[in-house]
Amino acid sequence: MFHWLEKRPFLFAVGVFVTIAFAGLIEILPDFAKASRPVIGTKPYSVLELAGRHVYIKNSCNACHSQLIRPFKAETDRYGHYSLSGEYAYDRPFLWGSKRTGPDLMRVGNYRTTDWHEHHMKNPASVVPGSIMPGYPWMFTNAADIDTAYAEMLTVKNVFNVPYNKPIPTKDGGTVTVKLPDTLDGAKAEALKEAKAVAADMKSKEVKDMVARGEIPEIVALIAYLNSLK
Amino acid sequence: MENRPLEYDYTVAKMFMFMAIVLGIVGMTIGVVLALELAFPGVNTILGSGVAEFTNFSRLRPLHTDAVAYGFTLSGIWATWYYVGQRVLKVSLKESSFLMAVAKLHFWLYVLVVAAVVVSLFAGITTSKEYAEFEWPIDIAVVVVWVLWGVSIFGLIGIRREKALYISVWYYIATFLGVAMLYLFNNMEVPTYFVSGGIGAWYHSVSMYAGTNDALVQWWFGHNAVAFVFTVPIIAMIYYFLPKESGQAVYSYKLSLLAFWGLMFVYLWAGGHHLLYSTVPDWMQTMGSIFSVILILPSWGSAINMLLTMKGEWQQVANSPLIKFMVLASTFYMFSTLEGPIQAIKSVNAIAHFTDWIVGHVHDGVLGWVAFMVIAALYHMAPRVFKREIYSKSLMNAQFWIQTLGVVLYFSSMWIAGITQGMMWRAHDEFGNLAYSFIDTVTVLHPYYTIRAVGGLLYLVGMFMWAYNMYKTATAGRAVEEAELKNASPMGA
Amino acid sequence: MNKLYLWGGIFSVALVGATYAAIGMTKGGLNGDIVNILAVLGAIAIALITIWVVVKYVRQMQTDTATGELAEENWDGIGEYKNDLPIGWAVMFMALNIWGFWYFIVGYPVNAFSQIGQYNDEVAEKNAKFQAVYADIKGERLVEMGESVFIANCTVCHGINADGMDGKAANLNQRIEKKTVKYVINHGSNNHLLGMEMPMPDRNGLFNANTGALITDAEIDTVASYVANGFQGAGADIFAGTCAGCHGADGRGIAGVAPNLREFTPELIANVLAHSKKGAIGKMPAIDVLNKKQTEAVAAYIISLSK
Ligand code: HEC
Ligand code: HEC
Ligand code: HEC
Ligand code: HEM
Ligand code: HEM
Ligand SMILES: [Ca+2]
Ligand SMILES: [Ca+2]
Ligand SMILES: [Cu+2]
Repeated sequence: MFHWLEKRPFLFAVGVFVTIAFAGLIEILPDFAKASRPVIGTKPYSVLELAGRHVYIKNSCNACHSQLIRPFKAETDRYGHYSLSGEYAYDRPFLWGSKRTGPDLMRVGNYRTTDWHEHHMKNPASVVPGSIMPGYPWMFTNAADIDTAYAEMLTVKNVFNVPYNKPIPTKDGGTVTVKLPDTLDGAKAEALKEAKAVAADMKSKEVKDMVARGEIPEIVALIAYLNSLK
Repeated sequence: MENRPLEYDYTVAKMFMFMAIVLGIVGMTIGVVLALELAFPGVNTILGSGVAEFTNFSRLRPLHTDAVAYGFTLSGIWATWYYVGQRVLKVSLKESSFLMAVAKLHFWLYVLVVAAVVVSLFAGITTSKEYAEFEWPIDIAVVVVWVLWGVSIFGLIGIRREKALYISVWYYIATFLGVAMLYLFNNMEVPTYFVSGGIGAWYHSVSMYAGTNDALVQWWFGHNAVAFVFTVPIIAMIYYFLPKESGQAVYSYKLSLLAFWGLMFVYLWAGGHHLLYSTVPDWMQTMGSIFSVILILPSWGSAINMLLTMKGEWQQVANSPLIKFMVLASTFYMFSTLEGPIQAIKSVNAIAHFTDWIVGHVHDGVLGWVAFMVIAALYHMAPRVFKREIYSKSLMNAQFWIQTLGVVLYFSSMWIAGITQGMMWRAHDEFGNLAYSFIDTVTVLHPYYTIRAVGGLLYLVGMFMWAYNMYKTATAGRAVEEAELKNASPMGA
Repeated sequence: MNKLYLWGGIFSVALVGATYAAIGMTKGGLNGDIVNILAVLGAIAIALITIWVVVKYVRQMQTDTATGELAEENWDGIGEYKNDLPIGWAVMFMALNIWGFWYFIVGYPVNAFSQIGQYNDEVAEKNAKFQAVYADIKGERLVEMGESVFIANCTVCHGINADGMDGKAANLNQRIEKKTVKYVINHGSNNHLLGMEMPMPDRNGLFNANTGALITDAEIDTVASYVANGFQGAGADIFAGTCAGCHGADGRGIAGVAPNLREFTPELIANVLAHSKKGAIGKMPAIDVLNKKQTEAVAAYIISLSK
């Protein structure tokens, strides 16, 4: 019968590859050509925020939480303005998620606060009866990894030209500059400064003590990140 | 030489069979734990709050998906490759000490990667991309494992006696090429340790792509990882094991051919259906939806070809639990490849996306189709590689019914949970306010989460029955002669 | 009837029935929402089509026999028939390919679909629908509407009973807690409660006219109890001497000067929602997803709680 191609394994494999690669080209190539540009008000993450993002990823919060508000009235009523492509310009990796066991967090910084997160992350069911989210009490004592966050900032600045130390336009017409310290020690000092501001709104004594000692617990970094989601 | 039956060498096939069983049980045990955690959050701290960092839902979930996809399923794929490959190419691994060495290296390096993955995911070292969680050092090891498999495929083909490649081999080749391409592109990442001059964790990396672009590459990968791990190689299995076990000729070569090339062409376009109503351009989303609907036909082509192969053979279906597994697997394959396209329609996805209806779709595919096929394939192989009859037919029968009930409970509960939740999220009340707070939409799911956990538990019980039956077959089954192994597998009561 | 059709039928009916029951349990059911309706039709189609097609092939297993010309090849004993494509499958495949091509090349650009356009339409339609209802919502209905807003947006912090869940947020069943009053006197307040920058001084700016001195710890404690208890008990004199100048003799506030401390007012609540509030308990975020009517309604609900 007609087994012409199937008797030529090399040609067969090439045929398969071309067939599957074709669609890939169409879907992937435009990607390299056109990266989305940040919208006004979108700024890179600070040291502490980035360390918090790493805590979020380390614990796979994205397994239950999306960060993508779809353009439906019910969604914008619940979470705020629908997502815009440019808002993700500095998200490496993207964290849209694919399952909403818990609510979307794209703009959670707008409608939740440090002290609320503090209660909630320790024991979600104590603030939201019936919550099935696990508590994360160890984050109150585990130290956040500032070194790796700083290494990532250096990397994205050098490789992808992320605009650290440059004025970035804000929604109110002004500008803001996100600092990339010159040295690791500088980065640690910067992170500690940010951490103190967050810890001031918290109640946990162990957290306050740690920050006073110059250490940054994961929870503080995580909350800084959550507060930055707007 | 030509007249004497070939002595095939199943050493490596056996090693992968063992891994498939072990990792299947591990992965699904974690699945049951996850299901219980969602139904009863207290389970998050079941081993004490001291180790909850490692036993809570979010840390365990990637372990489940990777253990079942890249542990259980891949092991099953490779167990069957090292079995089917030799037989349909009519060449024994014994004939090439080089290929034998490659195959063994393939296995042992794979075991090493599995160990590395377990350690890294428990430690929370992940890039967060679904089904591509591994950091770059593991990526590199994965590429080596994959290349070794490639050498094995093309090496065996190079020394084959059967000139034309059998359908199963088409699908194995496609699996190899597809995953290679997808994996490389999606894992483009920059190690931060080297760029920053030695600061921070050495294994950490940052994605080459940002935001919307990253999402596009990820779901071009993610959708097709499903295609080339949960579909294409499983079709390779059914095209060999169903005709072989039943002794029936494949219904239509033309259908095999069209379904294969159709699937290859159409699958890759459909990734956009994971990004509907997101910030990727409208035309890409629409393309994803259109190709998803077209995809029904090449998918159903293979399933129909298999069902028609059993034409007139109801006796066999009724009598053999091994054939039952495969016939029901084709049915679930048809079910999930109709459900997927319908969920890919934009308006339907507006409800389904982000809900448990998707999780239901996933599991009628993976439990009803993937795992059933792996189970059936390994049952068929057991008498041939151990030269013993399958230990117990009645145990296999019981396993079949228990697992079928498990799948049905799983997908029907998630189906209802997903539709309910999707509609509750959208609902406005008579005043135009959101009708439900988020937590209302969580607490309603409790009964369905409980039913799912029961379904999962039943399925897991079936897995243990499988392991026991396989173990007994290898050690205590009645020894059989070559002549008994032509088609239907010999089974003890 | 064939047993198989029976089981197929029972199974589809069970699945579709369960779906139907699940919908019935949610408020308003399908709600006339086209997306809901399409999703449910899709679900029903999945169940029915799969069962119908599979039953068809299983019938062939039961009654038909395998026929056809065998191909020359044979792999490990597996043969292959030269049968033609099943006609239904082939036709469907062709038809879908043509449809897909047409849709992408012609159907789609011609309709010029945009998901943001679709969103704008949806919002306009719903707003028009509810705006029309809003005019009639007053009194008790307004409170009811406010409760519905409160449940969806505020319970995560204030609790289902609005009691603040053990001090995690303000207890809204009373105007103000003693803890808050003390805190405000000690630290001042700068929360735009009047809708503008108008801070209240801390204790170093609070003179008690009766004593002619700064307010003392003992006085703070007394007046705080007095205010928190709804202006009852001891402390009226301290209030009159220290606070009444701004908050009014009766504590009901003075427009543009200081807020009402006796009862919640719609303005106060609207200002808290617009500007956020930080105090003794913690920080309340601004809530910007509510429209004017919803704000008015939730205020009416909160006011009703402390009555
Ligand atoms: C098992 C699923 C699950 C995991 C894992 C999970 N969450 Fe949640 N999350 C929920 C659910 C359910 C809710 C809604 C109920 C509640 O507020 O507790 C929620 C609510 C939240 C909220 C409140 C959002 C809002 O709008 O009210 C935040 C913030 C949050 N989670 C953050 C996190 C972070 C950070 C992590 C990871 C460290 C995480 N969650 C992990 C399920 C989860
Ligand atoms: C100089 C004017 C002034 C005086 C005197 C004054 N207040 Fe106030 N008070 C204000 C203003 C203005 C606000 C609103 C501040 C803001 O926007 O946060 C306020 C807010 C408050 C609040 C917060 C209300 C809330 O809902 O959180 C309390 C409680 C309060 N005052 C109590 C007192 C008491 C008790 C005294 C006397 C011991 C007093 N005030 C004296 C001007 C004053
Ligand atoms: C993320 C948590 C959070 C959410 C959501 C929230 N609140 Fe609050 N709310 C607070 C906290 C904390 C306080 C107490 C602030 C303080 O320390 O005085 C508060 C205080 C208030 C007060 C008291 C103001 C006063 O003068 O004492 C009102 C009124 C109020 N909230 C109304 C609402 C309404 C209405 C909603 C929903 C539309 C809402 N809150 C949602 C946390 C929240
Ligand atoms: C015609 C074939 C198929 C199509 C068109 C399809 C379509 C879809 C769609 C639309 C989603 C949901 C995306 C979302 O909204 O999040 C999805 C998810 C998924 N499907 Fe399929 N599906 C098909 C077949 C299968 C099969 C056979 C399997 C497995 C055996 C499978 C496994 C999955 C998995 C694992 C996901 C979850 C992805 C995630 O993590 O979000 N699919 N599919
Ligand atoms: C005993 C059987 C199983 C049980 C109880 C189970 C349970 C679960 C649970 C609870 C989840 C998480 C769902 C969520 O986040 O809400 C999940 C996800 C998943 N499981 Fe399983 N599982 C089982 C078997 C399998 C098998 C055999 C496979 C594959 C071969 C598999 C593949 C997946 C995938 C791909 C996901 C991710 C789905 C998504 O992201 O949409 N599971 N499973
Ligand atoms: Ca997923
Ligand atoms: Ca990777
Ligand atoms: Cu997909």
